[in-house]
Amino acid sequence: MDNLAALLEGFTTVLHPVYLLYALFGVFVGTAVGVLPGIGPAMAIALLLPLTYTLEPTAAIIVFAGIYYGGMYGGSTTSILLNTPGESASIVTAIEGNKMARAGRGAAALATAAIGSFVAGTLATVALTFLAPVVARWAVQLGEPDYFALMVVAFVTVGALLGSSVPRGLAALSLGLFLGLVGTDTLTGQQRFTFGVPNLADGIDVVVVAVGLFAVGEAVYVGSRMRHGPVHVIPVEKGWRTWMRRDDWRRSWKPWLRGAAIGFPVGTIPAGGADVATFLSYASERRLAGPRRKEFGKGAIEGVAGPEAANNAAASGVLVPLLTLGLPTTATAAIIIVAFQSYGIQPGPLLLQSQSALVWALVASLYVGNLMLVVLNLPLVGMWVKVLRIPRHYLYAGILLFGALGSYALNFSPVDVLLLVVVGLVGFFMRRYGYPVAPLVVGMILGPMAEDRLRRSLAISQGDLAYLVTSPFAATAYAAIAVLLAVGLWLRRRERAQEVTTN
Amino acid sequence: MSADGSGPAADVVAPRRRWGELVLAAATAALGGYVLVAAGDIVVPGSTNTLGPRAFPYLVGAMLVAAGVVLVILVLTGRAGQEEGGEDVDPTVRTDWLTVGLLVAALVVHVFTINVLGWPFAAALLFAAAAVVLGARPWWRAALVGLVLGLVIQVVFGGLLGLSLPPGPLLEGVPFLRG
Repeated sequence: MDNLAALLEGFTTVLHPVYLLYALFGVFVGTAVGVLPGIGPAMAIALLLPLTYTLEPTAAIIVFAGIYYGGMYGGSTTSILLNTPGESASIVTAIEGNKMARAGRGAAALATAAIGSFVAGTLATVALTFLAPVVARWAVQLGEPDYFALMVVAFVTVGALLGSSVPRGLAALSLGLFLGLVGTDTLTGQQRFTFGVPNLADGIDVVVVAVGLFAVGEAVYVGSRMRHGPVHVIPVEKGWRTWMRRDDWRRSWKPWLRGAAIGFPVGTIPAGGADVATFLSYASERRLAGPRRKEFGKGAIEGVAGPEAANNAAASGVLVPLLTLGLPTTATAAIIIVAFQSYGIQPGPLLLQSQSALVWALVASLYVGNLMLVVLNLPLVGMWVKVLRIPRHYLYAGILLFGALGSYALNFSPVDVLLLVVVGLVGFFMRRYGYPVAPLVVGMILGPMAEDRLRRSLAISQGDLAYLVTSPFAATAYAAIAVLLAVGLWLRRRERAQEVTTN
Repeated sequence: MSADGSGPAADVVAPRRRWGELVLAAATAALGGYVLVAAGDIVVPGSTNTLGPRAFPYLVGAMLVAAGVVLVILVLTGRAGQEEGGEDVDPTVRTDWLTVGLLVAALVVHVFTINVLGWPFAAALLFAAAAVVLGARPWWRAALVGLVLGLVIQVVFGGLLGLSLPPGPLLEGVPFLRG
């Protein structure tokens, strides 16, 4: 009952009018930025970081919660109304939702995505409310080798699964680990890879790297091969009557619930994040469709309802390891960790005790944000359609500008912006040659933590390497790597096969 | 991270593309080699009893070398990477290197003009230059949009949110531009 009391406390914080405004602001900006093509939730948060530099932590966290959900949500609008997907998580939505929109059922597709996201997001947040304290209590008992094992699990799964090619993922991860090494060693105070440059003694700022890779790299990459000419947005019919018919409701509610049931657990384990969850949901809806199966690929509403629900449920699931173990399992989660760290808050098992008020305000704002999203978004679709039509040259110029602002505002030093340009170029080449950028960011954030744990472990054991694998948890974790990898790669192959058949 | 290419892009890969990819893979391995060598130069204080500051760099260097070598082999055997897709990416056109160069140039100019012109003007310059490079016509409309955007951000972030963006010599002393 403790948790519920704490959650109520969180609600009293969030329902304060000023914080409600912050939540509304976050949700609104998050959706607007999420709707913009080419901007996924990770980039949305990275770009909007400077907005929150001057806010106090609670307000900033509330804004972030709104941006996180809003960004996830906005992506579905993009993929339904434009013919190509933005965030990887909504690819399957694009298949069915886009077909629906072309058939004049765009409003129904948007509505089932919105309501499904709300239902699944709320259910998943309830699950988060009850699961997070349990995990945190258990996590307190974990020793140094256990944490190291967890991080190895995250490295391997993130490196291997967040991209289409395993060696490229591992190369990106290693590059991130290297960038994490630059700076002063925390345990001995020795400088490493600083090339004698004083600016590098404190390490490379993760925000610069994240913004550089996600914003600058993406803008330059798109610029290098831009689709010119007018933007084709599929028109959406006006009026409430056409949103969802009785039949649409009947066909949607089960996929919503199934999507939530699939999305949340997949989100909590490091197995590729929302991407895998949406695909699993899509595959299961297709299998369960029975006589309707032939509608899949031509605009089946189940194929929008399920994956969208799973996507949002996974977004909440990702917060479980993030808040309780400090373990980011997706690029977006990695950026959220950066945001926390910029306030001197380190997510981990002690977070729920040391920053209890903040965490519960965050959870409460997830509930509130979800509700705001569903209320706001359906009526505002006309506006999002206008946002989708924004001329691309202004859009990508704006992304560059905000990226530059974000890294300049870190220390008000042009050197950071120069570093941003360099990282942006690296991001461009990585995109061009199919290297995933997410493992780099995750590696850079987790690398120093993992090194710390490893060295502490070996200091305890006085150099005995066996200590790393003898605790039952660590042993299980290492065994789990094999299972996660096998399952993850199998899913990926299935996913690709599916894409080929549906295209 | 999107895997939307169901084939066509991979088939029309020009042989020139392989070179760039090869260079990137080789650079990864080379960086790994450098890390392995440079890790030996990290000073290990006498107080370190077990794993010192060198161990993890050795591990990272080895990973970079391994990944780089595997990638070089993959590229040489014709298994090229799958470039990323996106709403605004046209998979049928070839990379426009001029655009890449000009966008980077615009960013570099921005870096060096922040302190000279002040943030809002450096920002306007960056926005206008990038937009024109990406195809905005006429150029003066892009410049106007950039100027308005730069000033609005200056007022909102610098004035209202208290981010200390330098307004520059032209706007020095205008009260609402500073927090």
